[in-house]
Amino acid sequence: MTIKTATAPLASQAEEDALSALLDGELSQTESLRALARIHSAPAERTRFRTYSLIGDSLRGLPDTHPDFTTQVMAALKNEPTLLAPMPRRRERRPALWLAAAAVSAITWGLWQSLPDQPIPAPMAANAPRPVDVEPYLAAHQDFAQAVIAPAEMQFTQVSFVEPQR
Amino acid sequence: MNAVRHTVFGLLLTSSTAWAGAPLAQTEAAAWLQKIAEASRHISYEGVFVFQQGGASQSQTLMVTGRPSGAHMESRLLTLDGNPREVRCSQQVSFTLMVNGSQQQIEKRLNRRHFPDLLPENAAELANWYSISLGTPSRAAGRDCTTLEITPKDVYRWGYVLCVDKNNAFPLRAVMINDEGQVLMQYSFADLKLGTQPKMDGHPMPAMPEAAKPATGSPIEVTELPPGFNRIAAMRRQLPNRKGEVEHWVFSDGLTHVSLFLEPVQKPVLPIKGQSKQGMINLIKRQVGDWQATVLGEAPWATVESIAMHLEAKPATP
Repeated sequence: MTIKTATAPLASQAEEDALSALLDGELSQTESLRALARIHSAPAERTRFRTYSLIGDSLRGLPDTHPDFTTQVMAALKNEPTLLAPMPRRRERRPALWLAAAAVSAITWGLWQSLPDQPIPAPMAANAPRPVDVEPYLAAHQDFAQAVIAPAEMQFTQVSFVEPQR
Repeated sequence: MNAVRHTVFGLLLTSSTAWAGAPLAQTEAAAWLQKIAEASRHISYEGVFVFQQGGASQSQTLMVTGRPSGAHMESRLLTLDGNPREVRCSQQVSFTLMVNGSQQQIEKRLNRRHFPDLLPENAAELANWYSISLGTPSRAAGRDCTTLEITPKDVYRWGYVLCVDKNNAFPLRAVMINDEGQVLMQYSFADLKLGTQPKMDGHPMPAMPEAAKPATGSPIEVTELPPGFNRIAAMRRQLPNRKGEVEHWVFSDGLTHVSLFLEPVQKPVLPIKGQSKQGMINLIKRQVGDWQATVLGEAPWATVESIAMHLEAKPATP
């Protein structure tokens, strides 16, 4: 499905993609050098690179080497009238970030006894979304869903706040 | 990019429906929709249908009976595999009865509709948002059926393929598909008797306290809804297995339902995006002013995102 980002001009999306690809080691040497040069020359790009790295580390469950990370994110949420956008191509690149919720949703509706075992990826970041957090909402929505008895095999990801282009 | 996307979308639709007839004129489409809606509410039935989601590996077989009672239907759903569950619906009340070993649990449902009653009372209005074309005739539950392809005219809803009884337009099969024509879920009768006088055995209708109260004034407003969507419900309720009340609003175009849950923020809300397999269900949780908003439904990402991003905190009144 096409994800509509409410963010920004296309150029910036391309840059974000390049940045994300750089972090994931998916760029060729030439492309990497170009991306790094851009990071050095543009302060906004540098900030974004830092944020991406931090979020990536945190979501991978790496030790909290950046104790101010949460504070920063919280501050960012609070202070910036920023826009919501999914992390670029997160789903394809880092399947480990997606959590399987099958077992959880089966509890409320209970119609699905023998769901195939889904490995829960580990380690999970402390602040990563947990399926159980939204399970009551899914159950409550069932009253109005066409799928009277649908289980909801939801996968969750945190979405990042990105700075609007100024 | 948008232009490209639309072209690709158009090509996919064209190729997947190449064998289907041209879209019906809007009045004709509206008449079909209304006819199907009325058939599912005026004809008594008893049968067994299979519900499938995410491929054949997840299916559930249910027995269903329904009969008109005044202007409404009385109906009963009973699971035939998995944990025993029963849903009973009447004009007054709807509830789910769950049995786990010796324990029984009853939950009130806030909605009284289920398959085969999928189309709303004013089904004709759906023709504004979906185009209808006739597909290849098919067969279901031993009956000849007419195939109708219900294709959304924009990005804010999923499509359906309905097979309805050739003689009386009673829905025999309903398939929900995404914009690439992939099956998201389907209901299909395996066995069906129409026009009988089904008995409504099973659990008697219990007297239950109201599960929900009318919504009180909320400090959040929705500044814009996707085309065709209206708020069809607003209430204060408890969520299953959770303490405290939340505000629950429901938006619908008649076929698609999206819920919004509002509650005061306890701690800063990190925005979360959730998605079921193949993207059938989408969810966003985010903070709006001092409120946590959770938007979710069996609707494309565009719909859920649009609603979530058009929430605004009303300025505090002195």
